[in-house]
Amino acid sequence: MTVQAQRQDIVSKKGFSLQLPERHLPITLLLPSIIFIALVVGLPMLYSLYLSFTDYTLTSGSNFHFVGLENYKHLLFDDPMFWKVFGRTILFITLAVNLEFLLGLGIAQLMARAIRGQSLARTLMMMPMMFAPILVGLQFKWFFNAQVGLVNNILYTITGTAHLIPWLIEKNLGFISILVAEIWMSTPFMVIILEAGILSLPQEPFEAADIDGASGWQKFQLLTLPMLMPFVYTAMAIRSLDIARAYDVVSIMTGGGPANRTELIWTYVNRLAFTGQQFAMGSAMSYITVIFSFIFTYMLFQNVLKSRWAGEMGEL
Amino acid sequence: MSTKKSISRRDFLKLTGMAVLGSAAACTPAATEAPPAPAEPTTAPAVPEPTQAPAVIGKPFDGKTVRMHAITGGNYDELYKLIPKWEEQTGAKVEFVFKGNGFETDKRLVQDFAAGTVDYDVAWDHSSFFSQYVKADGLEPLDNYFSPEDLSDFIPRLVDAARRDDKLWVIPRHFDISCTHYRTDLGLSKAPETWDEFKAAALDITKNNPGIFGTQFAGKEEALSGRFYEVQTAEGGQLFDDKWEPTFNSPAGVKAATMFAELYAAGAMPPDMTNFLWEDVANQFVNGVIGVYTEWFGWYSYFQDPAASKVAGKFDIARQPMGDGGVHSGWAGHHGFSITKAAKEKEAAADLIKFLTSVEGNEMEAKLGILVSRQSVWDKLIKEAETSTDPLAKKRLELALLQAQEDFKTPPLIAEWLPMSNILYPVLQEIILGDVEPQKGLDDAATQVREMMSKAGYY
Repeated sequence: MTVQAQRQDIVSKKGFSLQLPERHLPITLLLPSIIFIALVVGLPMLYSLYLSFTDYTLTSGSNFHFVGLENYKHLLFDDPMFWKVFGRTILFITLAVNLEFLLGLGIAQLMARAIRGQSLARTLMMMPMMFAPILVGLQFKWFFNAQVGLVNNILYTITGTAHLIPWLIEKNLGFISILVAEIWMSTPFMVIILEAGILSLPQEPFEAADIDGASGWQKFQLLTLPMLMPFVYTAMAIRSLDIARAYDVVSIMTGGGPANRTELIWTYVNRLAFTGQQFAMGSAMSYITVIFSFIFTYMLFQNVLKSRWAGEMGEL
Repeated sequence: MSTKKSISRRDFLKLTGMAVLGSAAACTPAATEAPPAPAEPTTAPAVPEPTQAPAVIGKPFDGKTVRMHAITGGNYDELYKLIPKWEEQTGAKVEFVFKGNGFETDKRLVQDFAAGTVDYDVAWDHSSFFSQYVKADGLEPLDNYFSPEDLSDFIPRLVDAARRDDKLWVIPRHFDISCTHYRTDLGLSKAPETWDEFKAAALDITKNNPGIFGTQFAGKEEALSGRFYEVQTAEGGQLFDDKWEPTFNSPAGVKAATMFAELYAAGAMPPDMTNFLWEDVANQFVNGVIGVYTEWFGWYSYFQDPAASKVAGKFDIARQPMGDGGVHSGWAGHHGFSITKAAKEKEAAADLIKFLTSVEGNEMEAKLGILVSRQSVWDKLIKEAETSTDPLAKKRLELALLQAQEDFKTPPLIAEWLPMSNILYPVLQEIILGDVEPQKGLDDAATQVREMMSKAGYY
C-alpha cells in the first residue's frame, strides 16, 4: 500500500476527509502558524511602519498627522547624531565580529587538537553564554568601576599606585569596555561553530599534505581556512545581526553615555522613542536600520553561497 | 563534475527578508512593537471566603471592584496593607493590575494611555509625570471629587504642584526634596549657604582630605537635568520664559553648568560621576568618600544606620544653598494618586484615594520615614520628635517641612519635561567632561529644545 493510500485509508476509517490534493497539505498545515505570526509580528510591524510616516509621540493620543518622509529626511539629512551613532555601531560590529572570529578560531583549533579534557573545556567555554546579557553588563560595569572595580584594583596591585581610570567614561575607553564585554560574552559561540566545522573537515587532504611535507601554517592557510569558510561566514552573519541588536549590555554598562560617547543604534532608538517620546522618529530609525541590515545580510549570504559553490566545484 | 548551483534572487529575498524582519521584530525595542496590553494582575484579586457573611446593607460601594495601577518597592507597599480596612468599610474590592517601580510604572502608563488600553480606575502618579498623562487625555480632573475642605490639610505647595490648566489631577501622598548633607568630621564648620560657598567647600575638602571627593551629583538622565534645574533656579535662571522659549542658556544657567564642569575638572567629584544615579551617589556617601552634597531626605535612615554606613553620626543636614537669585534650591516632586478617564468606578476610586491619603495613611507612612503630605501629621511628628534620641530627628523634620512650605519647586508641569531632560542631560555631560564650553553647549541644547517645543505646538 502506498503512503497516499494508507493516509486515505486512515482518513476514511476516522470518518472524515480533508479532500485536499497532496500538494496543498503542507501549506494547509502551516496556515495557522502563518496567520498567528502575521498577527503578532506582521501587524505591529506594519503599524509601526505607518507610524514612522506620522508625527506621533507617546503623548499625542489620537492627535497625530501623516508627515510623509519627514522623519526619514530628518534622520538622514538633519540629525548628525544618527550618522555618528550609526557609524559607531558599524565600527562596533566590525571590531567585535572580527576579534571574536580570531579568538574563536584560535580557541577552536586548540580545542579540536586537545587529546584530553575536550568535554570539560567545551563546557567551560560555554559558560559566558549561560549568563543573561543584563548580568554580563552588571558584571563588567563592576569590573570597570573607577573606584572599586576589578581592573583598577589589579592595576593597583601590579603598580602599587592607585589608578582611578574611569573606564566607562573616557572617550575611547568606554567604547573599548563595552566591546570587551560583548566579546567575552559571545566568543564561545564562534568557538562552537568553528570547532564543529574543523571536526567535520575531511582528513584526506591533510594526509596528502603531510605526505607532501606541508608545514602546519601551510595546512592551515591552504586547507583548513578555505574549507572552513562556509562555517566562518555563517557564524559571522549570525553574530553580525546579533551584535547589530546590541542593547542590554550597553544599556546596563553606560546607557549609551556619557555625552553619547557609547551610544549605539538601539540605545539611541530607545532614548529617542521612549524617554524622548518621539515614537514616530524612533520607528523611522528602526526601519532605516532594518533596511541596512537587510542589505548587509544579503551581501553576507551571497558570500556564504559563493564559498560553498567554490568548495563544491573544487576551486579551493 | 558538479555544475554551479544557483538560488534565484526571489527565493533568496524571501528567505532573508523573513529572517531579517523576524529578527528585527524580536529585537526592536518596542519601536516596532504594538504597545503591550495591560499586565495580568501581579496580586491575585481578593476572593471572598465562602463562609463570609453577606455584605452589610448600606455599604457605599458594595460589590464594586476598583482596579489599581500602583508603585511598589521600598516602603511603598506598606500603605496597601490598609486597603482591607477600606474594603471592609465600603464593600468594594481592590484589584492590583500592575505593580512596578516609579519609572516602570510611568513607562507603562504612557504606553497604556497612548494605546488606549487603560482598564483601571486608580493610577499611581508623580508631579514630574502627570502632565504627560493629561496631554494624552488619560486622566480625570479631581475637582468634582475633592472639595476645598478635603484638601485643606495638605501642604499648599504640594497641591499647587498637582494642578495644571486650573484643574486638579493628583492627590499628593508624599513628597521628597533635597537638603545639603555635609560631613562634620572633615573640617567644615558650617553648611555652605550659597552655591559659591558650596563650590569652595568642595574644593577645600578635596584638597585637604586625600581620598575624599569634595562633592558629587547624580550624573545622568533626569537626575542630572533636575540638579542643574535647581542650581540655575537659585542663581536666578529659569528653564523657560513666559512664552515657553528656553532660557536655561542664560548667565545663570551658564554659571550653574560651569560650576559642575569646574568641580569635575578639579577632581572634586568622582571621575565616573556621569554614570551615577541615585543609589550610586547614596552608596558613595555611606562609603565615606564624599564631603558635601545635596541628597533627598528619603535616604536618611540608611545614612544613619551604623551597620550600613561609615558616616552614621558624622554628618549634618542643612537647607539647600541659595544663589545669585536670592532663592534656595528646591527641586522637588511628590507621589500621589490619580483617577483615569477610562475608570469605571470613579466615585469608589476617589473614596479609595481619600482613604489612602488620609491622616491614618499619612501617619502609617510617616513612621517609615516618608515625608507625607498633610500638615497636621507633620505637626504631630515634630512634637513627637522632641523626645527622640536621634540628634537630627527634630531638625530633619523641621527642615523638610520648611523646605516643603518655601522651597518646593517642581520642574515645569508640562508633558515635555522628560523629553527636554532627554536633550539636556547629554549636553550637561559634555560640559562636565570638558567636551564643550558651557555657553555653547547650553545654546545648542536650547536650540534643540526650542525645536522640540515647536513641534509640540507651543509656538
